[in-house]
Amino acid sequence: MEQIKVFLDESEMPRQWYNIQADLPTPLRPPLHPATGQPIKAEDLAPVFPMNLIEQEVSTQRWIDIPEPVLEKYALWRPTPLYRARGLEKALGTPAKIFYKNEGVSPPGSHKPNTAVAQAYYNKVFGIKRLSTETGAGQWGSALSMACQMFGLQCRVFMVKVSYNQKPYRRSMMETWGAECIPSPSDRTQAGRKILAENPDSPGSLGIAISEAIEDAVGDPEARYSLGSVLNHVLLHQTIIGLEAHKQLEKLGLYPDVVLGCAGGGSNFAGLCLPFVRDKIHGKNVTIIAAEPTSCPTLTKGPFRYDFGDTAMTTPLLAMHTLGHDFVPAPIHAGGLRYHGMAPIVSHLLEEKLIEARAFDQVETFTAGVQWARSEGFIPAPETNHAIAAVVQEALRAKEEGKEKVILFNWSGHGLVDMAAYDAFLSGKLTRYELPDEEIRRALAATDAFPKP
Amino acid sequence: MEAHDIMARIDALETRCPKLGHEVPFGYCRREAGALPCPRALACWSHRFSVELVLRTILGPVAFEAAFGAEPKSRVQNLMEAIEAAKARCASAPQDGS
Repeated sequence: MEQIKVFLDESEMPRQWYNIQADLPTPLRPPLHPATGQPIKAEDLAPVFPMNLIEQEVSTQRWIDIPEPVLEKYALWRPTPLYRARGLEKALGTPAKIFYKNEGVSPPGSHKPNTAVAQAYYNKVFGIKRLSTETGAGQWGSALSMACQMFGLQCRVFMVKVSYNQKPYRRSMMETWGAECIPSPSDRTQAGRKILAENPDSPGSLGIAISEAIEDAVGDPEARYSLGSVLNHVLLHQTIIGLEAHKQLEKLGLYPDVVLGCAGGGSNFAGLCLPFVRDKIHGKNVTIIAAEPTSCPTLTKGPFRYDFGDTAMTTPLLAMHTLGHDFVPAPIHAGGLRYHGMAPIVSHLLEEKLIEARAFDQVETFTAGVQWARSEGFIPAPETNHAIAAVVQEALRAKEEGKEKVILFNWSGHGLVDMAAYDAFLSGKLTRYELPDEEIRRALAATDAFPKP
Repeated sequence: MEAHDIMARIDALETRCPKLGHEVPFGYCRREAGALPCPRALACWSHRFSVELVLRTILGPVAFEAAFGAEPKSRVQNLMEAIEAAKARCASAPQDGS
């Protein structure tokens, strides 16, 4: 029988996280204080994060010890298995060897607990009693709920109301793990009450939920705030994924030609890829790819490629013929075409040309995800499908070139709580709308029916 | 087809929201920031239908400029601003919070 999985013994689990800030060719630019324009100081963050995590946020120490209590919790699902995707290889007829880290084996089903557990631990030892956070669909909220329960912390999750109503199972997961899950906007905070006073039926937004969670933490000296992506210490905690994969491939005597992950906030991409970026900085020949949605082109149309050719900082998007030859559209800021949710470390790596980015639209990604489910069995999270679409692209390229490339990617989570998304794809709801532009224009141009804000 | 019919059809279209992690109808995106659309609405919807044309029409030039004329802030910038705003709110009403 052909080998499918490579395991590590618990004793082989990495004992340190890798901090890429020690190896960056140029240092990260520090975040600026919105009022002063000066770099943020530790005390600015102290009402929101415990000092031990703030120290990690700014640390340039290359290796940071994983505390024993965190390792004990990790051991519930770590080391995660490295799989060979032989079914997909056969389906594609590729000579490439495709490997993936299955982060879907964690209790909440994603990579998120790698940092949730660490953050809960550091808050606990700092003396914090309660963590507050926000969540959309609930992947992060459920991971933090579980982690808080593990370390005896209370957990309060402000869940965007539209998500709260639409994703009842993740809300149930949070409550099962003992968290208090509150639809946002809520009457618990000044920020929420202000929104509700203006619009009692507000469906909420991630921005409102963030404001509520932060206010909730700032207003309680025994509480702190927790974030599951973007920040340096979050990416640090996730590097255990790539460090394990390194060891597992070594057992097979292999090193990847291509390493990739999906890039939303950047934590799962960084978790697998940063240890390999380190190798690249030190001379290894490895291609590292961030796969992202065309609907949020953070990197592929990001500031470093887009703005430099756009000195006026504006880009009229609309073709003139759409609104008529005499119509000059107001400009749209180039930044408005991007998703600004990416981690600073990942953006920095792109700027340094240590990684590349590729965008895939949602039909491509779900097509790849369904192909994956039919060849490998596991149903991926919709975000994971971006990485799979990139894997398919790379594997077919290897086929064209006749090369036995080794491809490694992060299978960041299962999609068993996301079947509504698959249903939307399988029922054809995600395709381009069939109504011609001209018909939209003609109908809308003649009306004053829409109140102007 | 009447404008309201078109808007009803367009408002019911769904796409996956990269911020929330699930499907949302366009009707949510065009009101995500209160009276204004989500700053990402153009990027998220332009491959589905002429979202810019629709939003220019229903918003008017001033609101359209307010929504899309400025550089969107990064997640870290938003976080820092939210922290400062929360500190200010809690300082003015220390009994609020949990």
